[in-house]
Amino acid sequence: MLLKDNARTGGQGQHPARSPERAVWQFHSGSSVRSAPILEDGILYVASVSGVMHAIEVTTGKLKWKFQAAGQVHSTPSLSGNRVLFGCDDGKVYALDRPAGSKLWEAPTGAEVWASPVVRSGVVFFGSADARVYAIDAATGRTLWVQDLGGKIYSTIYASEQRLYLGCGDGRVYSLDSSSGETRWSTPTGNGIDSSPAVTGDLVLIGSEDFFFYAMNARTGEVRWKYETGLGIASSPAVSGDLTVVGSKDGFLYALESQTGRLRWKTAVGEVVTAPPVIGDGVVCIQAGGTFALDSATGSVVWRAALAGAVQSVPVLAGDTVYLASLSGEVYALR
Amino acid sequence: MDRRTFVKAGCIGSASLLMQGLDPMIRADVAPPAAPPIELHGLPDYKPSPLGMPGLFPGRVIEVHEPNAIVRNRVSQPIVRQMLEHAMKELTGEKSAQAGWAKFVEPNDIVGIKINPSGAPACCSSPEILREIIASVKSVGVPAGNVLVYDRYSYEMDIGSYQVLLPPGVRIMGIQETFAGDAGYEPNVYCEADFFGEWETRSHMASIVAHEVTKIISVPTMKDHSASGVTGALKNLAYGTFNNVARTHRAPDSFTNPLIGLMCTVEPLRSKAVLHIMDGMRQVWHGGPLTQVQDFIDQAGILLVATDPVALDTIELEAIEMKRRERGAPSLWQHDANSITTESDDFYHNASKNLFFRQPGHIAAAGKLGLGVANLKQIDHRTLSA
Repeated sequence: MLLKDNARTGGQGQHPARSPERAVWQFHSGSSVRSAPILEDGILYVASVSGVMHAIEVTTGKLKWKFQAAGQVHSTPSLSGNRVLFGCDDGKVYALDRPAGSKLWEAPTGAEVWASPVVRSGVVFFGSADARVYAIDAATGRTLWVQDLGGKIYSTIYASEQRLYLGCGDGRVYSLDSSSGETRWSTPTGNGIDSSPAVTGDLVLIGSEDFFFYAMNARTGEVRWKYETGLGIASSPAVSGDLTVVGSKDGFLYALESQTGRLRWKTAVGEVVTAPPVIGDGVVCIQAGGTFALDSATGSVVWRAALAGAVQSVPVLAGDTVYLASLSGEVYALR
Repeated sequence: MDRRTFVKAGCIGSASLLMQGLDPMIRADVAPPAAPPIELHGLPDYKPSPLGMPGLFPGRVIEVHEPNAIVRNRVSQPIVRQMLEHAMKELTGEKSAQAGWAKFVEPNDIVGIKINPSGAPACCSSPEILREIIASVKSVGVPAGNVLVYDRYSYEMDIGSYQVLLPPGVRIMGIQETFAGDAGYEPNVYCEADFFGEWETRSHMASIVAHEVTKIISVPTMKDHSASGVTGALKNLAYGTFNNVARTHRAPDSFTNPLIGLMCTVEPLRSKAVLHIMDGMRQVWHGGPLTQVQDFIDQAGILLVATDPVALDTIELEAIEMKRRERGAPSLWQHDANSITTESDDFYHNASKNLFFRQPGHIAAAGKLGLGVANLKQIDHRTLSA
């Protein structure tokens, strides 16, 4: 599970369209947080750049356990059963035991892993900056297959039952066979891809550094439509119903109709947007030099908070609480 | 034991250096304060290299202009490739660009490419140019793993997406994660001065510059700068190599002159910086270095190549001055108290406003230190088209 599901709708529950009024607690992680926190079963998992994975009890804001990896961590953790998975700059993906925080296994690659591991049917899939995609047995950490691509991979894989979808530094969007890693199709864009795809129906949705946001046929890779923004797109899209929301480095958040690419609204939220948005109940949240909540129907700003100006982090919406992590290393629970 | 390589201010004479660095055309409505004493501590017993600044071709600047190199804010890598090849052949006099590159790097070098990501994404070192530089360095036998693309702040490099846009194997490195902390810096190589009574009076050299890379190729951008006048080859190296440098300007005063030039004299930075490739695809004529306001960013399609950072920055300064004159903005040399604002929004949207009294005289001051040629009449400025 990454940001709730493969569609990256993110939130854990309903969230009212009102500004949080107070900090319930604040946790000092000790170094920058440039990935997204993940919430499950009352525990918030937060990876700091210094390589520490924290498990924080959300009722108290107290640390349950922490684990020190051997390198920096930029990867957003993902959860599968009793495992916490994350990539590390030491070139490894770590699997930790969720209750205890102890290491279950580690899987080596040839370069840093900033993408998040994604689990489907007992297999962990992820790309590495060594330009390879890996499939690992989730139970043992054993490598099942490795597939070479044409560039560095920072894009987190979307895993369907039979296909994997991801962007690559060589500017291509790839679809791989999930059982073998063989390339089913690849479609070029005009520059490298930092963004991670979402899939809705038969569409793969992804941004490129060529300034365009793409919708591709998931079966063939054919470009259905593309939408031009003012600068490169490193942000990953969030999808809810027929609404796709993505940020651009031009500082705008764009809401597009998933099937047609027609613009519903765009709103300036900061000088630069590189983080993924999340969609809650009637609101879209984004961190862009602060935290913004926008009305998902109109794009108007419902509330904003000066906290948590992280470059890549993502708010967690959970009931009446918002959890935020920041570049300065602070983690907040706001209500 | 430390060896103090240089300089009490009394030695160079901070006040006199400051004044020497200032252009006679300055409209000195407000007299700048005298710089305090500055001590420089280089790496002990470092043997200077003949490739060091001003390098193999003092006073020579190659400018290649191709309007189609940037179209609708997108940089064309094939055109950049041609521009860089022309420039390298013209700079070195070699028949092939590869032979030109071989004058600066050898297969066993650890090559640092010092980029300028501040201002990303609106104006920063273009990945398209970096990819061509990396390909050129590899063409003379340097393996990808021995190429290190770096700057001070990791988060700024992230905004530029350099990690994903540069080739596999090349290391991408931010010297520090955020504004705080001195991990990643060499404790024994530093510049020391008390400018405004600040708590920390030392600025340390990055450890990778002091110890890891053997050559540096600097890729500055073409921008005005609210404190130093312009940010070019000199400032990209100085303020991107040493930490704790924002302390040199406190509104409205700035001691970027003389510190920028002085930092560039510190070994081994001076010796390792062998080539400067200025990215003028985008030209920021107001709001630098961090502006995202496209109104003040021209898509110029220019590449400037030199071994002499002073000559290069002198050409850049002229270009930015010319652009400001064309657009009716005051000179970078203007020191008018009425132009100073404390509101960043005012500064970013009004070209007649500024946060500091700019100090473009840092370029001439660096010339006085022997880093290159600052006199326009003595600069061998060659212009080409791709």
